[in-house]
Amino acid sequence: MEDIIISVLQRTMIAGTPLLLATVGEIICERSGILNLGVEGVMSVGAVVAFIVTFLTGQPWLGVAAAIVAGMAVSLIHAFASVTLQANQVVSGLALTMLGLGLSGMLGKPYIGKPLAIKMNSFAVPFLSDIPYAGKIFFNQSPFFFLAVGLALLAWFFLERTRFGIKVRSTGENPGATETHGVNVSLIRYICILIGGGFSALAGAHLSISYSKSWIEGMTAGRGWIAIALTIFALWNPGKAIFAAFLFGGIFVLQYLLQPLGISPNFLAMLPYATTLIVLLLISLKDPRKLNAPAKLGEPYKKGER
Amino acid sequence: MKKLYVVLGLVVLCLVIAVLYFKVIAPQDVTEKEAVVPEEAPVETRMKAGFIYVGPVGDYGWSHAHDQGRIFAEKQLPWLDTVIVESVSESDSARIIDRLVQEQKCDVVFTTSFGYMNDTVAAGAKYPDNIFMHCSGFKRAENVGTYFGDLYQMYYLNGIMAGVLTKTNKIGYVAAFPIPELIRHINAYALGLKAVNPDAKVHVKWTYAWYGPDKAKEAAQALIAEGCDALAFTEDTPAVIEVGQEHSEMGKQIYTFSHYSPMQPYGVDSVVSGQLMDWGGIYVKILKSIKDKTWDNKDIRWLANEKAAMLGGAPGEIINPKFVDDLKKAMVNSKEFGKISAYDLILKRYAQMQQGVDIFDPYDGPIKDNKGVVRIKQGTRASKGELLSIDYYVDNVEGSIPK
Repeated sequence: MEDIIISVLQRTMIAGTPLLLATVGEIICERSGILNLGVEGVMSVGAVVAFIVTFLTGQPWLGVAAAIVAGMAVSLIHAFASVTLQANQVVSGLALTMLGLGLSGMLGKPYIGKPLAIKMNSFAVPFLSDIPYAGKIFFNQSPFFFLAVGLALLAWFFLERTRFGIKVRSTGENPGATETHGVNVSLIRYICILIGGGFSALAGAHLSISYSKSWIEGMTAGRGWIAIALTIFALWNPGKAIFAAFLFGGIFVLQYLLQPLGISPNFLAMLPYATTLIVLLLISLKDPRKLNAPAKLGEPYKKGER
Repeated sequence: MKKLYVVLGLVVLCLVIAVLYFKVIAPQDVTEKEAVVPEEAPVETRMKAGFIYVGPVGDYGWSHAHDQGRIFAEKQLPWLDTVIVESVSESDSARIIDRLVQEQKCDVVFTTSFGYMNDTVAAGAKYPDNIFMHCSGFKRAENVGTYFGDLYQMYYLNGIMAGVLTKTNKIGYVAAFPIPELIRHINAYALGLKAVNPDAKVHVKWTYAWYGPDKAKEAAQALIAEGCDALAFTEDTPAVIEVGQEHSEMGKQIYTFSHYSPMQPYGVDSVVSGQLMDWGGIYVKILKSIKDKTWDNKDIRWLANEKAAMLGGAPGEIINPKFVDDLKKAMVNSKEFGKISAYDLILKRYAQMQQGVDIFDPYDGPIKDNKGVVRIKQGTRASKGELLSIDYYVDNVEGSIPK
């Protein structure tokens, strides 16, 4: 029993890592007032680029860097459409998802079924990994896990505690007022979309070079959509996102242990979306202000208009 | 300023379309040109066969093995042209069959997944002049035949190996979908296990995907966490073997069995043996019989006897040398052979299987299901019909089959 619990928690951390990365990216993006539904596509592009570069060069971190650059590059399309052209963000985001999935399928075709020779060894934190139980679960993990948690904490500090964070948040709440204070709203939004894209691509890179160590079409398997749901579930707070991402990572891992009890895998796959709805409902009923949604989320900002 | 953006946007769009054209559409033109009948060859003597695969040919499992068979047949039969469509969802097969018949003008269409069954039979009624061959199903029509290469005998032999190597007496199995083929594999694996180690039990996890490395990985991890130390599987990726190799490298020996393609390179410290399938012979036989008009819709079922099913995780190596000594040292009692090493038992059984199912078959009775009901009586062997519709676990498999 003890082994099972440790194993489940350990796997939970790994399964939750891509969710956390993508969710934090989407939070940063949405806090600046831009809804990005392209997470799934960007994640897929990140996965394929990371795999190809790692496969060809044998350098996993070079693959990660390339994935981030590629993720930012495709996100630029969304930034251009939604900020500069002030187009409908839902349409542009969905287009980005389709483009990303198609593009990655096309680029990755020759690499299907090829195993990655490079091993991403798990990283044991000195001393801490010797702690009973917790050491095994938290401190002897894939480097992506530490990266994801570190970046989530950093993103929280950045958004809530720095001057730039205030600019990002006020851009999402009231871009007109922010502009009058001499802040370049378009620039802030561009930066946030690119950072969000980089995070999504990083999540994809984790899937292809650390988690699966192989590329297949559609390997993101809806994780991008879960990240969008988790953004709401975490109430646009990177700190809460850590909790939310690992909760749903745990559900993914648990489904195989729950199988003998007759719980349908389809039911478990539905859970992230259902719980998001319930959380939204409960908070809206109690006190909508607590929802913390950026006031101008999804609304294009036109300079000089009100 | 805005006009400039619009122009820029259009330029980018054109570039994307151009890239898509050259990358995606152009190569297809080339392959089709290659497939065009050479002018000097009289048209009526050539035959075109279409193959529909459920996964990508690079899956290194089921679809890969079928494609190897197709390539073999094309080399053997100079009058044959082939065309493939890969990664076809089971709900989308009717459309793809239409395309192969109408646009590609295929004379024969091979549909290679259980879920294509109803669409294939429907297509047979729609195109009476074409021949359709459905792999792994049980529905036939005038012009719709079925064929299959079954690996259950190899799973029996793998079960023997798992039975003598295991230390925890918990044996795992990662399975894609609850269909008769997989139940047959699981039961044969369990029967082999029972022959040498009656105390051990088989534990099954379902992934509900033929091709889902992340799902297979988590299922394998869950089995190992529950204490299983030998894993076999029926799904189309080497993910289970990768998990086994990972644990074996970290000092916890996990035994795995490769499935369908030679997957031993993915787990040199973990793969004991496995099941290999050679479709080449079956495809050549079917296509030849269609060509010389001797084809009928009788079910074609190839096993070890026809050399379609073979034992091993790497070509020409029935057991990983790393584990041969362990198997030679393990002595077991066999009703037929007395006290014998597990290694010799495996070789003897394998030789018997190659002589035919009349000599030895895993499904020789008596066989009880795991609720205590006798399913195959003493002195009888499961009939083809019984094997094709098998819907119970034998008595050393835990749990029940999901509906």
